Amino acid sequence: MLKKTLLFFLFPAILLICLVTLFPLGYGLVLGLMRKMPVFGISEFTGLSNFLFLLKDPRFQQSLWTTLKFTLISVPLELSLGMLIALLMKEKIPGNMLLKLTIMIPWAIPTVVSARMWEWIYNPEYGVLNYLLKYSGIISESVNWLGNPHWALSAIIIADVWKTTPFAALLIYAGLQTIPAELYDSAKIDGAGSFRRFFYITLPLVFPIVLIVGIFRTMDALRIFDLVYVLTGGGPANITETMSVYAYKLLFQTMQFGYGSAVSIAMFVIVALLSSAYIYLLHKKFQLLA
Amino acid sequence: MKIRKKIEVFAFRLIFVILLLGLSLQQSCDNYSGQKRKVQKDSTIVFKHFKLANAREQFQKAIAEFEKENPGVHVREEILPSNTNVQHQFYVTSLESGSADFDVFLIDVIWTPEFSLAGWLEDLSDLLPEEERKQFFPAPLKADMYKGKLFAVPWYIDAGVLYYRKDLLTKYGFSAPQTFEQVVRQAQTILKGEKRADLNGFLWQGKQYEGMICTVNEIISGFGGHILDDSNRVRLEDIEVINALKWLKSCIYDWRISPRWVLSADEENTRLSFLNGKTIFLRNWPYCWSFFQREDSPVKGKVGVTRIPSLPGKTGRSTLGGWQLAVNRFSSKKELAKKFVKFMSSSKMQLRFALTVGTKPTRRPLYQNVELRTAQPFIVSLLPVLENTNPRPVTPFYPQISQILQIEFSAVLSDIRPIKKALRSARLQIEHVLKLEKEISAISDDK
Repeated sequence: MLKKTLLFFLFPAILLICLVTLFPLGYGLVLGLMRKMPVFGISEFTGLSNFLFLLKDPRFQQSLWTTLKFTLISVPLELSLGMLIALLMKEKIPGNMLLKLTIMIPWAIPTVVSARMWEWIYNPEYGVLNYLLKYSGIISESVNWLGNPHWALSAIIIADVWKTTPFAALLIYAGLQTIPAELYDSAKIDGAGSFRRFFYITLPLVFPIVLIVGIFRTMDALRIFDLVYVLTGGGPANITETMSVYAYKLLFQTMQFGYGSAVSIAMFVIVALLSSAYIYLLHKKFQLLA
Repeated sequence: MKIRKKIEVFAFRLIFVILLLGLSLQQSCDNYSGQKRKVQKDSTIVFKHFKLANAREQFQKAIAEFEKENPGVHVREEILPSNTNVQHQFYVTSLESGSADFDVFLIDVIWTPEFSLAGWLEDLSDLLPEEERKQFFPAPLKADMYKGKLFAVPWYIDAGVLYYRKDLLTKYGFSAPQTFEQVVRQAQTILKGEKRADLNGFLWQGKQYEGMICTVNEIISGFGGHILDDSNRVRLEDIEVINALKWLKSCIYDWRISPRWVLSADEENTRLSFLNGKTIFLRNWPYCWSFFQREDSPVKGKVGVTRIPSLPGKTGRSTLGGWQLAVNRFSSKKELAKKFVKFMSSSKMQLRFALTVGTKPTRRPLYQNVELRTAQPFIVSLLPVLENTNPRPVTPFYPQISQILQIEFSAVLSDIRPIKKALRSARLQIEHVLKLEKEISAISDDK
């Protein structure tokens, strides 16, 4: 009886998930098995050939590599900076309130807007970054941050870290609040210094939260699109083209629905694998705690 | 407990209100589209075009005149953003679903083959009799033909030009450069003499996007090469193409007349740099001219224009640009739509837009018009450039080809891939795409 009622109440939610998640996913998979270019009236079933081509498509490999590089550098940076800022927010220092108020601004600005802003900061002729670096004598000639193959990805990573560190900081700060003050008091009495207190009390207790923030950020980073699209469009020489940007170009600029869907499905699989690894970790961690 | 209950009641009410709101919104949307359908039934045609600078008033005037000539007919304008990629995406998605929401629309010269093959454009062959076609510049007209039929009417034409600083060139005793070698030598001499750290020698569009293809296409033609030849064979590995890319690269890395930031430069930021007096030579489209000649322009009266440089003995052919009027094949009012295309592309309208907005007419006799000669001498002076333009590859698969070229050219110019390797890879990818084209046009011929 109870089970029936449960099902009844769950039905709308299940229906919604089917409609907005499972159906598009399944349809994407079907499209991925076809060669479909609606513009030219091509629509034929080609089996796994899209996925086989994907395995040896150098452009896909490069975009995968770029995405991984982006994720592996930006997420740890965001988490550690977020941790630092969260610790700062917890300390009762002057200006603390102001810090809490202003820290969220980057996160509150729509990404496209902040990307445009960074575009101007990086501008080789008028940008403030080149101006400051030249003024302080660090560089003598303007650097074209977004047009230089050695700098473009780093420039995007910096813009992303700027934007999403507040998100990490806020969640970690919330996690810090849950640690009872008595733990610190007794550790102090036992003569533990601030480093010991951080590594033996704060870090282990806040770790599950950090892990959750990590999941969120990793998934976001793996499907990074807007910043890249606005700042470089994938250039120079395609070295900043991420998987989402590649899929977008296939789907909406050259209208290859079949192959574009195959790329999206591959992206989905990669993100799913990584997030299940995270969830496994999280699960283990909580069991250890319990 | 009581409070909780209150909150629950409140939440339910809120959901109820939201649902109601949603329903009524839905209803009013239905009403709106119902109205739209009704209006569409009578003689209203929708003209979709992008936001052309300074043209707002002229479009309205032209429409008012058309409505006066055809009593009972209404034309509604719908304006798209000027970003071409956004427009392309809009047209492809709505035409793909057979949308009849617009009747007449403006398309970029590189889209006509793609849209014609897809069967989205109405055949306009009978709109322009053979005799009248002779008036038009041949290049855009050819780009608007597909399998012997005319699918769009060229409305205005564009072509790349080289702007130069007349005052600086005169100061060092130079005249406008004709060859690649002159551009390099003049830029180097002036840069050396002026000793200004913020002065750029030669600016062009080198970001990974369509504009870069336009620049490279011109330089290749100045060296006498082609991306595709007349029988659609890929000619990227010819020595002319290799030399063209070598020359552009040397501008950045050897002679240092182009700053490194050309690798992320588009039309607008190069125009701004030139406008602010920081550039000697600039490759750009003719639209920049009016900006350079404004009252508050720092370079007013100091700018000269010449054709794209080339090797001695060769003529550089500028990349063909421009916009075409086309009729949506799914439109229910094709006859009216055709009438409007005929009206807008008439000599009279083209002349009026040339005089007021500065668009370059596609009908050649207009360049002899006295009124245009006195009011817009700059446009008239472009005639030799416009007579001899170089289209980007004319094929329905141009968007794919452009993407391949953008990546490979960008890799060459940023110095991370050797020229020959990049060109070979581009050739193989493009040949793959063209093979598909053959298959498809064979299928569509069968139909």
